[in-house]
Amino acid sequence: MTGETLLSVQGLTKQFQTRNGTVKAVDGVSFDVKRGTIVGLVGESGSGKTTAGRCTLRLVEPNDGRIVFDGVDLRTLSEREMRAYRSRLQIIFQDPYSSLNPRLRVDQIIGEALDIHRPVRGSARRDRIAELLHRVGLNPDAARRYPHEFSGGQRQRIGIARALAVEPDFIVADEPVSALDVSVQAQVLNLIQDLQQDFGLTMLFIAHDLSVVEYLCDEVVVMYLGRVMERGPSREIYAMPRHPYTQALLSAAPLPDPAADRRRIVLKGDIPSPLDPPSGCVFRTRCRYAVEACAEIVPPLEDVGSNHHVACIRHGDPEVISQGLTL
Amino acid sequence: MTELPDDTVLRVSDLRTHFELGSRVAKSVDGVSFDVRRGETLAVVGESGSGKSVTSLSIMRLLSSPGRIVGGNILYRTSQGQVIDIATLPERKMRAVRGRELAMIFQEPMTSLNPLYTVGDQIVEMIRLHEPLSTADARRRARRMLELVEIPAADRRLDEYPHQMSGGMRQRVMIALALSCNPNLLIADEPTTALDVTIQAQILDLLRRLQREIGMSILFITHNLGVVAEIAHDVVVMYTGRVVEKSPVASLFAHQKHPYTRGLLACIPNASRDRGGAGERLRLNPIPGNVPPVTALPPGCSFAPRCSYRIPQCDEAPPLMAAGPSHLSRCWRHEAL
Ligand SMILES: Nc1ncnc2c1ncn2[C@@H]1O[C@H](COP(=O)(O)OP(=O)(O)OP(=O)(O)O)[C@@H](O)[C@H]1O
Ligand SMILES: Nc1ncnc2c1ncn2[C@@H]1O[C@H](COP(=O)(O)OP(=O)(O)O)[C@@H](O)[C@H]1O
Ligand code: SF4
Ligand code: SF4
Ligand SMILES: [Mg+2]
Ligand SMILES: [Mg+2]
Repeated sequence: MTGETLLSVQGLTKQFQTRNGTVKAVDGVSFDVKRGTIVGLVGESGSGKTTAGRCTLRLVEPNDGRIVFDGVDLRTLSEREMRAYRSRLQIIFQDPYSSLNPRLRVDQIIGEALDIHRPVRGSARRDRIAELLHRVGLNPDAARRYPHEFSGGQRQRIGIARALAVEPDFIVADEPVSALDVSVQAQVLNLIQDLQQDFGLTMLFIAHDLSVVEYLCDEVVVMYLGRVMERGPSREIYAMPRHPYTQALLSAAPLPDPAADRRRIVLKGDIPSPLDPPSGCVFRTRCRYAVEACAEIVPPLEDVGSNHHVACIRHGDPEVISQGLTL
Repeated sequence: MTELPDDTVLRVSDLRTHFELGSRVAKSVDGVSFDVRRGETLAVVGESGSGKSVTSLSIMRLLSSPGRIVGGNILYRTSQGQVIDIATLPERKMRAVRGRELAMIFQEPMTSLNPLYTVGDQIVEMIRLHEPLSTADARRRARRMLELVEIPAADRRLDEYPHQMSGGMRQRVMIALALSCNPNLLIADEPTTALDVTIQAQILDLLRRLQREIGMSILFITHNLGVVAEIAHDVVVMYTGRVVEKSPVASLFAHQKHPYTRGLLACIPNASRDRGGAGERLRLNPIPGNVPPVTALPPGCSFAPRCSYRIPQCDEAPPLMAAGPSHLSRCWRHEAL
C-alpha cells in the first residue's frame, strides 16, 4: 500500500494575533505524505514546524488550507465528525518530562488512551497495556510506576506506547528524540523504525537534527519563516540541496569527523522576526545569492524533477547549483 | 605542588567532587585528571550525568552545597605566571580569579545575565569590578566587546535588555561579558546546545577566531561529538564521573580505545554508513541500557553492564592506561579495540 498518498496538506496557513501584531507562523505550506513513509520537517526554531504539525492534526485550527487525510478534508469536518478521526491521528511530543501527567501511573496514562479508542476492561485491559509496554521495550512492571521513576528515554517510550494505544494510521512526532542522549536516541530511533515496519505507520517527523532526518526519513520538507523552501526525497536533497537555505543548513551541521573538509556557509545574523518578515523571498536577508528581484517576488515552489521542489528564483543558476554539489 | 609545564594553563589532577545526600554519597566527579594547554581547546564530552558540569563548576569554585571538592588539585597558572591551587584557594582570593582569570559561559545565557539591567550596564559593572576604569572608559570597552562578538549596531544594543534579544544574540552577549576582563581561560559549558545549527556554527566560528586572536585557552564542555570534531585540540571522554578516554582529537576519531567512545560514535546516525545500497535503512547500534546513577554504580568497570567487550577481569576496576601516543583508555581490553 506504500506509494498511495495518505495525507495531503495544501496551502496550510496559520496566523497568531499577538500584542505586537500578526505572526504568520505557517504561510501556505504544502506537502504530501505517502502511506507507510516518514516525512521529515526541518528548519530553525521558530520556522513553524510545531505549528504546522499541530495544524495538520487540527490540534490548532488553521486559518486556511486543506488537510486531506485518507480522502477527506479534515477541515470540513464538524467537531463531532472529527472525533472519529482523532484516534487515527496521534502526536508524540519533544519533552518526555512534561508530556506525561505526573500524578498518573503508567497503566492509567496508557489506559486513558485506550478508553478513547476501544475501551476494554479487566484482564484484557491489563494484557493490552502489557503488550504495548513490551512493544516499546519496557517491562510489564512499568505499568504500576509513575513517570518520574523513569529516565528520559523510558518516558519517551511511554509517550510512544500511549500514542500506539489507539492504533493510529498517522503520527506527528515533534522532536521526539531531541531531548535524549545519543545512546538512548539511537534506541528510540530503532523502535520507531520497528513500529513503522510492523504496523505500516505513516509519520511526520519534526526535527532539527539533520543527520537523524537523513537517516530516518524518506522525504524532507525544509521550512523557513513559515514557508517551505525545498522539499523532496531525502537522498536527493542531502546529495544535492538546491535551495540556498538548505545548503547553508546542511553545511552548518557539525560532523563527527575532524578530517572532514567542509566548506562551511556561515549564515549572517538571525532568523528575522515573524512579525515583520522580509518581502518577496523570506530568506533574502541572509542569502548570499540574493538579487533585487528577490525582494519583489515570492518564489513559487517549482518542480525540478523526481518530486523535488525548490522555492528560489535562482534555483537554475549554475552558481547556486554548483554550491549544492560541493557540500 | 607548583609544578606546571610552561605550555599548560590548567592541570586538574585526581579531582574528586562529591555530594553528600543523607546516607548516600554521589561521587559526581571521582578522580578526574586533564591538562588545558595555552591557546588550545580541550573538549570534555559525555552523556547527561557524566560529571561534565560538576567538573567545570569545581574549577570555577561555583559548586552549590552539598557539593564539595573532597580531593585532588586544580593547578592554574595566572596571567602573572604564578601557579595556584584553585582546589584549596580561600574564597576571598578566588573572587579575584573568577571573571578576571577564569570566565565561564553556560548553555542558558540567562544564568549569567540579569534581566533587570541593560546589557551595557552589566558589562560595565563587570569591567569596573576588576579594573579601575571610569564609567565612560568601561562603556567604550563594553562597546568594543560587543563588536568583538559581532553584534551589529553595538552602540544601540548596549542599551537593550537581554529579553529584547534572540537566543543567539544573548549567547554572544554572555561571551562578551565573559571576555570583558581578558580571561586567560574560558570555560564553556554546552554554550551551543540550545542553539540552532546555523547559530551554533556562528558561535563556534567566533570562539575559534577569538582564540586565534587573543590566544585564549578554552575548556569546552559538550555532549556533541560533531562539535568536538570542530573545535577541540584534545578530548576527554567522561562516564559516571571518571575519565574513560583521553587523546588528541584526530587520534580519538581515528581509533577509539574505549568501548563507550566507540559506542557513542556508532550510534550517531550516519546515512552513508547506516543505509544500504538501495537506500534502505539499516538498524542503528545503540549502546544498550542507560547511564547508571553515580549513587548506584556497578562494582568494577562502571561501563561493564552495557559493554559487549566485557571479560571476567572487568569485575576489577580498570585504571587509565596508555593506549597509544598521548592516548589513554580506562579499559582492560584497549589493545583488542
Ligand atoms: N546539586 C546536586 N546534588 C546532588 N547531585 C548532583 C548535584 N549536581 C549534580 N549532581 C549529580 O552529579 C552527577 C553529574 O552531574 P553533572 O551536572 O556534572 O552532569 P553533566 O555531565 O553536566 O550532564 P548534562 O549533560 O546533563 O549537563 C549527576 O549524577 C548529578 O545527578
Ligand atoms: N500560540 C502562539 N501564539 C503566538 N505565536 C505563536 C504561537 N505558537 C507559535 N507562535 C509563533 O509562530 C512561529 C512558529 O513557531 P513554531 O511552530 O513553534 O516553530 P518551530 O516548531 O519551528 O520552532 C514562531 O514565531 C512562534 O513564536
Ligand atoms: S529567491 Fe533570492 S533570496 Fe531567496 S533563496 Fe533564492 S536567491 Fe536567495
Ligand atoms: S574494562 Fe571491560 S567492561 Fe569496561 S569497558 Fe573495557 S571491556 Fe568493557
Ligand atoms: Mg517546535
Ligand atoms: Mg551539564
